[in-house]
Formats: sequence, C-alpha cells, structure tokens
Amino acid sequence: MTTAVQPAGGAAGGPSSSSLADVIDTILDKGLVLDAYVRVSLVGIEILTIDARVVIASVDTYLRFAEAVNRLDISQEDPKSGLTDIVGDVTESAARGKGQGVLEAAGEKLSDLLGDKQPQRQKVNRVRSQRGDR
Amino acid sequence: MTSTTDAIYVYGIVPADVQVEDDAHGIADAPVKVIREGDIAALVSPLKADHAIGKPEDLRAHAELLDGTASVAPVLPLRFGAVMTDAQSVAEELLREHHDDFAKALNALEGHAEYLIKGRYDEKRFLSDLLDENDQARALRDDIKSKSEDAGRNSRIALGELIASAVESKRQADTQTVVGQLDDVATQVNVREPTHEWDAVHVALLAEVEREGDVQAVVDRLNEKGKGRVKIRLLGPLAPYDFVVAPTPES
Repeated sequence: MTTAVQPAGGAAGGPSSSSLADVIDTILDKGLVLDAYVRVSLVGIEILTIDARVVIASVDTYLRFAEAVNRLDISQEDPKSGLTDIVGDVTESAARGKGQGVLEAAGEKLSDLLGDKQPQRQKVNRVRSQRGDR
Repeated sequence: MTSTTDAIYVYGIVPADVQVEDDAHGIADAPVKVIREGDIAALVSPLKADHAIGKPEDLRAHAELLDGTASVAPVLPLRFGAVMTDAQSVAEELLREHHDDFAKALNALEGHAEYLIKGRYDEKRFLSDLLDENDQARALRDDIKSKSEDAGRNSRIALGELIASAVESKRQADTQTVVGQLDDVATQVNVREPTHEWDAVHVALLAEVEREGDVQAVVDRLNEKGKGRVKIRLLGPLAPYDFVVAPTPES
C-alpha cells in the first residue's frame, strides 16, 4: 500500500515518480554518513559530477534571462503567429539544454529511458513491518 | 571466506522487527537482506566488490528501497554508496557500535517520514509580471529593442541581473510563506538550496505519515493561491534524508 502523494496539476509526484534529478538531489547529498571508524567506504562510484546542481548566476545566465524576455515580447506582439510559437519552442528547448542544470537534463533523458524498464520494482521492493502499532 | 569477492551494500538502519519481502531486490538486482543486532537492523544487499555503482538504476534502487520502507517503518537512510566488507562488520562495527544512538533516533522517527516540497516559477508568467511591476525592467527591455545586439549587450546583462535578483528575492519570500504554512503539519523543516534557476521553493519536512493528507492540503492551497505563478510538487513519503545527523566523531 504505497501511499503515493498525488501532485496537484498532474506533475510528477510520489516516490514512484520522482525524477532522477529529485533522487540525485537527495541521496548523494543527504543521509547518514558514518564516521571513518566504521569503515564505510565508497566503492567506485561513477557519479555524474554534482557541481552542476549548484545554481550560480553568471553573465551567461543574465543573457539567457534577457533572451527569455525577448521571446516573451515576440510572442506577445503576435500571439496568433504559429511560426513564432514554433520558433519560440525551439529556442526554449535549446536554451534549456544549455541552461538547465546539466544533471537535470541528463536525468530527464535517463528517466525516459528507464521509465518502463522496471515495472516490478515498486512492488518487489516493499518492506513489511509487522509492528503492532502501525 | 568468500568475502574477498562479496561486499555488503548498506541502505539504512531500521527497527529489528522490520521484515523484507522475499523477492525484494536492491542495487544490481541483488536480494535485500536484514542484518539484526539487538533492537535495530540494517537493510543490506550483497555487492561484488569490483562492481562499480552509481548508475541511474543504482541510485533509484537505493532511493526506492528506503522510501518504500519509510512509509511503513522508521528508517535512518545512509547516503548513497555505503559499503562494508561483510555481514559481521555490519553487525559489529555499524549496528552494535551505534546501537543506542540508532535505536533512539528510530524511536523519535516512529510514525514520521520526510516529504519534499519543490516549487518552480512559470518563466513566462514570472517575466511578464516583472515587466508589469518594474519600471526599470521595462526601460531596459525597450532600450534593448531599440539597439543592435552588440550595442544592447550591457542592457541585456543589466536586465538579466535584475531578473536574477528578482528571482532570488521572490524565492526567499515564497520559501518563507511555504515554511510558515507548514508550521502545523511539520515536526521539522529543512530549507534546501535551490537546484534550478527557476526554483521558487525547495523545502524538506518531517511529518507524521498519518498527516500526509494535511501536507497535501497545504500544497494544494499554495498551488491554488499561486494561481499558476508557482507550480508546487509534493514528493513523499521519503526516508528522512534531511533529518538524520551522523554521530560526530570525537575528533
């Protein structure tokens, strides 16, 4: 009985639909880390660099923001133009590829790939508790 | 001993009475086991010592096992990548060594899980609101329009900088609003750093699993009040990654 929290607006929600980016934000960065005495070690982790998560505003960011305003103006001046919409979308996704956290972009792609590969996972990984109070 | 080839991957610490389904699988599809010691236990799975981990499915396996556990029992999640040499070292060096600390923490977590609230600004909406509200932004936009790309560069940088600082101040305000709304439902709150430039709010909270509906109601209310300005998602129940603190070494 996994109680998936249904997100408002139909976006992803609940542990089953956390994006890979959501997972990375959490498990690489948070959680219990044991002291050296316990000899807990990292085994050859091929971690995609997590530096990319940090949001740092730079001139590049500023120019991208200004470009977003420009796009906004174009679509407002001629709202009926289908072509503008298409061009806008293309620019937007191009800008997103560059601008969005690299990890996130990669995460979306990876989660697409992984999406339906493990339909059993959710069920299989259930942990039971026979605790009287729960 | 075969322990030269097999290591033990450790997911987290749970009360000793937690049981795992026979077919539960973890990283590298290995069967999930429980190693018990006193009142506590570790969720583990065997791992070939030369098996490099860190692929997306490994990250997911780690998170899914722990998050699945969090909805039925208290769990202390380990950060991804904890591996010990063998079952004996898990029992002795991890569980026995920290038995009372872990048991106390699990006790405190009883009935609780972590939830994540993530909100993003709608880019178009944010920018048109800003242009409506801010004279300077409008002036810069008009200046940019009247110039060639090169000549307008400084104005474009200035406009972008203005936008970035607007995002930051609205983010602070919106985060405060969200945290304020969580007062009633959250046992603890941890404000996380933004991980995306349009992040409006990124907050982890510890709440009673039974009150999940109340948390959802808060999020629904915020979404309704935001009227499309901010889109907020609720993730959870998750293992309480944000609320477990490693015992500080005596150094």
